[in-house]
Amino acid sequence: MAAVPDASETAGLIDQQIEARLAKENVSPAELADDAEFLRRVYLDLHGVVPTHEQARRFLADSRQDKRARLVEELVASPRYGEHLADIWQHELISPLADDRQKRSDIFRKFLADEFNNKTWDQIASRLLTASGRMEQNPAVIYLIEGRLPRSVPDLTDLTSRYFLGLRLSCAQCHDHPFANWKQQDFWGMAAFFAQIQTPKRAKQVYEKGVIDDRNITLATLRDAAKPDGFMLCSPKFLGGPELSEGRTNGRAALASWMTAPDNPYFARAAVNRAWWRLFGRGIVNPVDDMDEANPPTHPQLLDLLAQRFIESGFDLKYLTRAIILSRAYQRTSRPDGGSDAQMAHFGRMSIKVLSAGQLYDSLETIFGPPAKVSGIDARAGARAEFIQFFGDTADIDPIAYRRGIPHLLRQMNSGQFGGKGTDALVSRVMTSGSSPDAIASELFLTILSRQPTPEELDRIKAYVKHCDSPQSGWREVAWVLMMTSEFSLNH
Amino acid sequence: MQPKLNRRSFLASAVAGASLSGWLARLAAGAPDGPRPKSCILLWMAGGPSHIDTFDPKPEAPADIRGEFSAIETSISGIRISEHFPRFAKLMQHAAILRGMSTLESDHKLATYNLHTGYRNRGGVVAYPSLGAIVANELGKHDVALPNFVTIGHGPTEALSAGFLGPDNQPLAVNDPIRGLDFDAPTAAPKQFDRQIALLDEFEDSFRDIYHSAAGEAHRSSIDRAVRLMNAQQKQAFDLSREPQNIRDMYGPRSRVAVRPIGGKMAGAGERAGSFGQGCLMARRLVEAGVPFVEVTMGDGVGWDTHRDNFPRTRALSLECDIAMSALVTDLKERGLLDTTLVVWTGEFGRTPQCTGGGRNHWSRAWSSVMIGGGIKGGQIVGRTDRDGAEVVDRPISVPDFLATICTILGIDYKRKNHPPGINRPIPIVDTSKPVNVMTQLL
Repeated sequence: MAAVPDASETAGLIDQQIEARLAKENVSPAELADDAEFLRRVYLDLHGVVPTHEQARRFLADSRQDKRARLVEELVASPRYGEHLADIWQHELISPLADDRQKRSDIFRKFLADEFNNKTWDQIASRLLTASGRMEQNPAVIYLIEGRLPRSVPDLTDLTSRYFLGLRLSCAQCHDHPFANWKQQDFWGMAAFFAQIQTPKRAKQVYEKGVIDDRNITLATLRDAAKPDGFMLCSPKFLGGPELSEGRTNGRAALASWMTAPDNPYFARAAVNRAWWRLFGRGIVNPVDDMDEANPPTHPQLLDLLAQRFIESGFDLKYLTRAIILSRAYQRTSRPDGGSDAQMAHFGRMSIKVLSAGQLYDSLETIFGPPAKVSGIDARAGARAEFIQFFGDTADIDPIAYRRGIPHLLRQMNSGQFGGKGTDALVSRVMTSGSSPDAIASELFLTILSRQPTPEELDRIKAYVKHCDSPQSGWREVAWVLMMTSEFSLNH
Repeated sequence: MQPKLNRRSFLASAVAGASLSGWLARLAAGAPDGPRPKSCILLWMAGGPSHIDTFDPKPEAPADIRGEFSAIETSISGIRISEHFPRFAKLMQHAAILRGMSTLESDHKLATYNLHTGYRNRGGVVAYPSLGAIVANELGKHDVALPNFVTIGHGPTEALSAGFLGPDNQPLAVNDPIRGLDFDAPTAAPKQFDRQIALLDEFEDSFRDIYHSAAGEAHRSSIDRAVRLMNAQQKQAFDLSREPQNIRDMYGPRSRVAVRPIGGKMAGAGERAGSFGQGCLMARRLVEAGVPFVEVTMGDGVGWDTHRDNFPRTRALSLECDIAMSALVTDLKERGLLDTTLVVWTGEFGRTPQCTGGGRNHWSRAWSSVMIGGGIKGGQIVGRTDRDGAEVVDRPISVPDFLATICTILGIDYKRKNHPPGINRPIPIVDTSKPVNVMTQLL
């Protein structure tokens, strides 16, 4: 779209907003991250994995002024970009309560990866909301089902309002919202758009026929209508807008076209806040899906600006991502260097995020090749799925909260998946004949931490290796130590 | 925050052999510790056992409801249970059978989540903690080597999360009790491991100096706790080979037993039939070492789900369960631990009164759980179902009633509210505004 301004111009406007606010608060921003810090961060954020040692070496050696912008373009254009977003979103949108979760997750992930690589956010949201049929033919229906049944109308209302509108309406399911403006009518008016989804008489219908609409069903005639907590009979009504004129159209299609219209007051802001939250570890509004009037943004003009640009771009998530990543705000270091908490709170330095289970697994694979099989785990569902089940906490979506305890660290230290045979291959590679200890240490650091060792680290490591039984075992021990560091487990 | 990673030598402690540990060790040392805090062992009957075929037999009902089993007398006159719990029948004086369980979910995963957390999973924003994590958070000590919440067997992972209670209360999972704890020893030699941990410590120091990261400190603290567990004598609690042969045998066979029904899935890969008893033995060892909550799963999500072959499968499972839980109760009693250890036997729901095609289907409106020990009044029945075991006619027990009762027995104030991060309202441990009337009968 020719009318859309350049992403780097939007990045400049982000910085004007952020820096004006920092000045007003009398806080100075942190320095820009060095190339290695930026490199690892942007790979983890956009591809969900650390860079390979070749990628790291190439980028660090590149002397072109615009190499960061070039890298961002390259990463966004790669299929891996959509695959990583799909990995994140399938986790959020798929019901954990299905016997065939793994199958669903595989289908849904592939589908979403294509969508994120090729479609705009309004197109993706519409497809999910209006899907019908069987999951094999139309994987988008996976959003609408749970176990063997369609998701309940109140569940769909809650999910849709949180993920696509950035609103927690569910409090208003049973009573008028105590803090925000939402009334029970708002919840049930939105719920009414989902009422046409048939609740099958037989539990397997979702497998056999998939999601089917029946235009004759309303909230009033919904099977089990008496059952949902706080049930209230309403006609379909757009949030903060008019009622849907009766019988005109498919309810979900009407909801989707209202939601994705350029003048919808929630849709673009929710997407912007969520993208910001994912990349900065914290939203412009927090919690990320609670963008209520009673919970104002820390940077209202910034949110408005980005939402406006996002709409002008045609809801192009890649554009939004590029604009944010090209900003100085995203490219600042996460080292405090004496900076205050206020510096962090006003996006004057980057926050430190925790590697998700998926980022951890894919990074292990990049560093060592396919992770070793270990005994003692139940990998019926596949090695990656098992790993993510174990290390991931479905309970938690806060990108900066560290949530791993004894069980995870025992496995990290002792299973062989973070070392073991994989380390042997790595160490043989970095110890190619004739390499000096300096060159070996450099290669090892670059492979695992995506940076060069400092002179102090280099001295320490070399002294350490000297005390080991053999250079091979010494470097293997060092590799294990690097894999266990906070630095490796975090996206700093 | 830990200033340094624990560097107690792995070599030194790995050879130490004494088996006294945890509370018993402190007791032996005469430490003024006050009354022993209570522990809980949850025996999770995955799949949902038939109440009629276990603890609520219906000899008066028509044959297609009564089923194939007969009821036997127990040590308490007037209380009768299934003939396939003959050992447990002799221990009835310690147990209360809750026959009024009446719950709302009849899908395995939803019901399992509900029974574990007290809340219904509706995809909302709050990540509710599992009962074990609640007990770990309320009664657990965080300066000890052992984790406060351990699960044994292939439990229902999605219902066993610490949720908003965080990493300190995450369960440590032992997949196979016969194999023991996984990943509890370094792959490297002890001397080498110590050396690596010392180097790691230096890296962590410098990372902290540069980044001052709360996430980094949390990572370091988790490493430290894991290393402490690796070094601790108490981890012997996970090693069943230290148990005398006669005790191991008392808990049941360690080899495969003939429970596999024709054409049905019984034991999944990784689960050994017969391992439930050994899991109960490990639970006893863990409680003895001071762990406040242990959950032992029987069935790997399929076990008691007897839509087909209800009678042969329920018989086999009952016999295996009877041996294991009777051994557990007897053993706890003999060690003076029964009064401070609440054993709870429950599934996610019961099964239909009517048999169809040799099976029974899901039934959540009326079913049974059992509580044993923990200082409750034993030898009684709480609640009653109708002739067919279809409806509760006296003292119905909801999920919140059930969990509030467990909390109260353990000395936890179930009305206390947590303040999860990112949620702008307090969340009570158990959300119930109604008085929980079954409690007075139990305590």
